[in-house]
Amino acid sequence: MEQEIMADIQSQATAATSTSSGPAAMQLRNVAVSFNGRTAVRNCTFDVGKNRVTSLIGPSGSGKTTLLRALNRLHDLTPGAKVSGEILLEGVDVYRGDITATELRARVGMVFQRPNPFPTMSIYDNVISGLRFNGIKKKSLLDAAAESSLRSAALWESVENRLKVPASNLSGGEQQRLCIARALAMDPEVLLMDEPTSALDPIATLRIEELMTTLKSRVSVVIVTHNMQQAARISDDCAFLLMGEDRTGELIEFDTTEKIFNNPDDSRTLDYTLGRFG
Amino acid sequence: MSDLTNLVGPLEVGHEMRGEIRRIANNTRARRQFISRVMMVLSLVALSVAAVPLVLLIIVLLRNGIPTLNAAFFTQLPQTPTLVTPNIVGGVSNAIVGSLALNLYASILAIPLGILVGVYLAENETKFATSLRVVAQTMAGAPSILMGLFAFSFLVHDLNLGFTALAGSFALAVLMLPVIVISTEIAVRSVPHTLREAGLALGAKPHKISLKVVLPSALTGIVTGAILAVSRAVGETAPVLLVIGGGFLNEWRPLNPVSALPLTIYENAKSEWPAQRAQVWGVALVLVAFVFVLSLSARIWASRKQQVK
Repeated sequence: MEQEIMADIQSQATAATSTSSGPAAMQLRNVAVSFNGRTAVRNCTFDVGKNRVTSLIGPSGSGKTTLLRALNRLHDLTPGAKVSGEILLEGVDVYRGDITATELRARVGMVFQRPNPFPTMSIYDNVISGLRFNGIKKKSLLDAAAESSLRSAALWESVENRLKVPASNLSGGEQQRLCIARALAMDPEVLLMDEPTSALDPIATLRIEELMTTLKSRVSVVIVTHNMQQAARISDDCAFLLMGEDRTGELIEFDTTEKIFNNPDDSRTLDYTLGRFG
Repeated sequence: MSDLTNLVGPLEVGHEMRGEIRRIANNTRARRQFISRVMMVLSLVALSVAAVPLVLLIIVLLRNGIPTLNAAFFTQLPQTPTLVTPNIVGGVSNAIVGSLALNLYASILAIPLGILVGVYLAENETKFATSLRVVAQTMAGAPSILMGLFAFSFLVHDLNLGFTALAGSFALAVLMLPVIVISTEIAVRSVPHTLREAGLALGAKPHKISLKVVLPSALTGIVTGAILAVSRAVGETAPVLLVIGGGFLNEWRPLNPVSALPLTIYENAKSEWPAQRAQVWGVALVLVAFVFVLSLSARIWASRKQQVK
């Protein structure tokens, strides 16, 4: 039974992976994140492939979310947080290069673990909020962006006639797709997703997974997930992180999803994907 | 055979034990139910004792207040009774207008400033913010006559502005400020952090997020706090006692002396004319009605559903 499931996961991983490793959307070079001098995650070196889905997997405490939030500088507002190493977006170091945090975040969007639409705004206002924050006021532009983002997030048909109702009226799955649409409206190069389906039911999860596979034609996706099947189903590349003896997470292995799930180099990767721990 | 003893023995012991446990539990329950009933009776007695003065107050206020209310009460200026006309006291329109003006100017001074400071405190963890918070909390507990004394020595005396509505509004504003600061800070802090992060992740600058995301989400709490601050200020006598001059005209202008409802109560309660002393109850009733309407609207506002523009 377990073997059947594993074989299934492995075949999904094979099917999902497109093998050609093209140009990188983001490059991580020896990235480490520490809080008040205590390292939470280190040793992360890999490329986020352009128009590919990269999954970060590993047990709780291995630093997946911490690493993800370093990519759009969300740690900036946490006192005592420090990111070392290099994170390059189109060759520009996002921490030391010629780019501001707000510009970076406009180019690298994020979807969070729990749907977090702005509760005082309507569906329409939520979708275009990023554009408004960045000074776009022209109604024709906003209308067009709202429609195309909601279409991309597979939400347009169900909300087309109620764009002015509060976003909180939507179901959890719809709210999460609204948050994806809100991120897409900025036309980002990279989309970071922090366990985007962990608060959703299986059907809503499936819809978001389908969405991710279609989205990668226009945006590179980095997704943190606890769900091994999900990583196997949707990602092209896979980074496996693990918490070491000193309670610091680190990158164990990065490769195509097919290799990580079928014949990884490190035995710990195999143990984890086989469900022997974690 | 021995297997059976092993099996039965512990079971019987278990049965006895369960019996004892049940007995002790039943006794405990009976004792607690008895204590619970006694405490309930004591609580009801305490409640009635506490309610007596409150109910009496309302009864006396209504019985003494209502007869003095008529059109003249609201529209006419006060008249001093004479020996020939001991019952002609006029109205208290000057105090009503004065109270409205005082609280309007105080609100204009205190509400925007208080909200700004509250937002600052909620969003900054600096030493300055911490000391500001301590000041606000101390001020919230400061005796209100102190505000009056401060306004008197600073505005009336040092700046030599004389007795003015502005000085009273200033004293009331200082009184309202900490209430607004504290309630705004609490309201802003209660906005989930995830909303701020959502804004950041969209490339919004922090001040944009404060303005467009956090403040609208905190609006209900902020408005409720502001209304409660006004309702507290309306009834205050001490801050205005020394500085507003107690004008006898319907006066809106900030740099003129005005009267106020609580001040009228204070002055007329000492009057030698029975008609004037009687009228004080009407003034008190109007004042309580003001406060009641304000706190009622604060409650309604606080409980309304999240609105989308």
